[in-house]
Amino acid sequence: MKTPVLCAVTAALAIGMTSAQAGDASAGETLYAEACAQCHGPKARGMASFPSLAGNDEEFIVSRLEQYRAGEKVGPNSGLMIPNAADLSDADIANLATYISTRFQ
Amino acid sequence: MAQKLSTRSFGVIAASALIAGLPITAHAASDAPSLKHTTVLSDLENPWDMAFLADGTMLFTEKCRGLSVRLPDGDVNHLLGMNGTEGYTTTADDLVCEGQAGMNGVAVDPDFADNRTIYVYSASTISDLRTNRVVRLTLNTGLTEVSNRTDIIKDIPYKQTASDHPFGGPGAHNGGRIRFSPDDGYLYVTTGDNHNSDLPQSGNSLGGKVLRIDGNGEAAAGNADATPEGFDPRIFTYGHRNVQGITFDPETAQPYVSEHGPWHSDEVNALVAGGNSGWDPRPNMAGRGDCPDHYCGYQPNQNEGMDPDDRRAYMPISDMKTYPDAMKPVWGNNGLSQGMSSAVFLTGDQWGDWNGRLAVSFLGIGFGGTPVGQRINVLDLANDGKSAQDATELPAPMGSARFRSLVQGPEGDLYTATDEGQIHRITPN
Repeated sequence: MKTPVLCAVTAALAIGMTSAQAGDASAGETLYAEACAQCHGPKARGMASFPSLAGNDEEFIVSRLEQYRAGEKVGPNSGLMIPNAADLSDADIANLATYISTRFQ
Repeated sequence: MAQKLSTRSFGVIAASALIAGLPITAHAASDAPSLKHTTVLSDLENPWDMAFLADGTMLFTEKCRGLSVRLPDGDVNHLLGMNGTEGYTTTADDLVCEGQAGMNGVAVDPDFADNRTIYVYSASTISDLRTNRVVRLTLNTGLTEVSNRTDIIKDIPYKQTASDHPFGGPGAHNGGRIRFSPDDGYLYVTTGDNHNSDLPQSGNSLGGKVLRIDGNGEAAAGNADATPEGFDPRIFTYGHRNVQGITFDPETAQPYVSEHGPWHSDEVNALVAGGNSGWDPRPNMAGRGDCPDHYCGYQPNQNEGMDPDDRRAYMPISDMKTYPDAMKPVWGNNGLSQGMSSAVFLTGDQWGDWNGRLAVSFLGIGFGGTPVGQRINVLDLANDGKSAQDATELPAPMGSARFRSLVQGPEGDLYTATDEGQIHRITPN
């Protein structure tokens, strides 16, 4: 029984995860394309006045999305992010954070 | 009005057609030409504007990098870099970017063949406070470098600090398109209100205006006679919010602008000398109370969705009640704000029934229940040019994107720059 757990831990460490909540990167990719890419860009490099997401770790992304979901103002685009994050589930946030942090280094 | 398709629908249609290798025909309107596309440049950083020489040479700006030129054979020379860039033949450390500001518009002098003069609009740190400047340059015959920099306008206001508004960071509402009129030969410069409610109606500020100047930055003859007494003579029209598009009717030379709306009603306006576009987001007037950071531009509820009609009643973009003589909008994007960025007339027989129609581009903004709306629309203006009798979505063969700029090339094709980093060429069959 120990082997699968060790594998999961090893995989998590290998992609630099700091959170115990490993998201589903594939689901995160789908959600990113639907809800995020139109402002942050297909490569998450940022566009216009929308910031780059590249290089952020999973924990930071989870934290930010949870703040926006709670209606907390963080930065000048909070008016856009708060309604966008309002309906995200914990799983959605975990999936997005995993996808963004691993895909856009 | 022709029925519009959703962005996602078009993406799927475009992808299917590309896979099949077929040109796409608009099914939203029976009179639309078939279109194909070529990606001219990719992996750019926020390309913002383009301007062509007669042989197809294309100057283009990138908001945080600077000015480059694409030669007809496809090679690219990097001409004028901004602060922190490398690989440009000249770098100007005062040219900076933040938020919506940076290097924006580019234009070619009507007498370029004789004077090799070009112009760019850029944020600069030369003044004590940052400003936007219109910079005149000479392009050498080898198309490898620019020289003789002269800042012909130095005092277009720039938003210095963040405020409590959507998109409220520094550099916001920065305007930035520059175009020469084919009729009067003057350079028209579009600016923004900086989230500063005092600017649009002020005759002392160049913010929230369309300027009309000559190649030395001097006021065009006729401006001062048309504007209210005491206005800066460089002002052509005033009372604007954030104008990022300007173009001229190919038959009448009537200038049209495209303008970002305040959570409702992006607008196309036909400009008249001295005209007031009716934007006045000051608090404690026109039925309004106090507003966040003295700017009512997204009120009455700037952070949450609400019916655009209710917004329009509270904070109109063209306030005809307060300013009954204001310019009446030609088109209002069906009451929605979706980031209308640029405008150009399509000309030439190759466009079929679209010859002479007005194309407008959208960045897309998904807020408060409004569809994101990334697209290019083709407007059929009424004979008098004062209203739009049809708005058809151009079936963009490359799919949807944040369409920042529209320019017609010398061969008659439509070029568009996207914030995603590409410049596409759209060719009608």
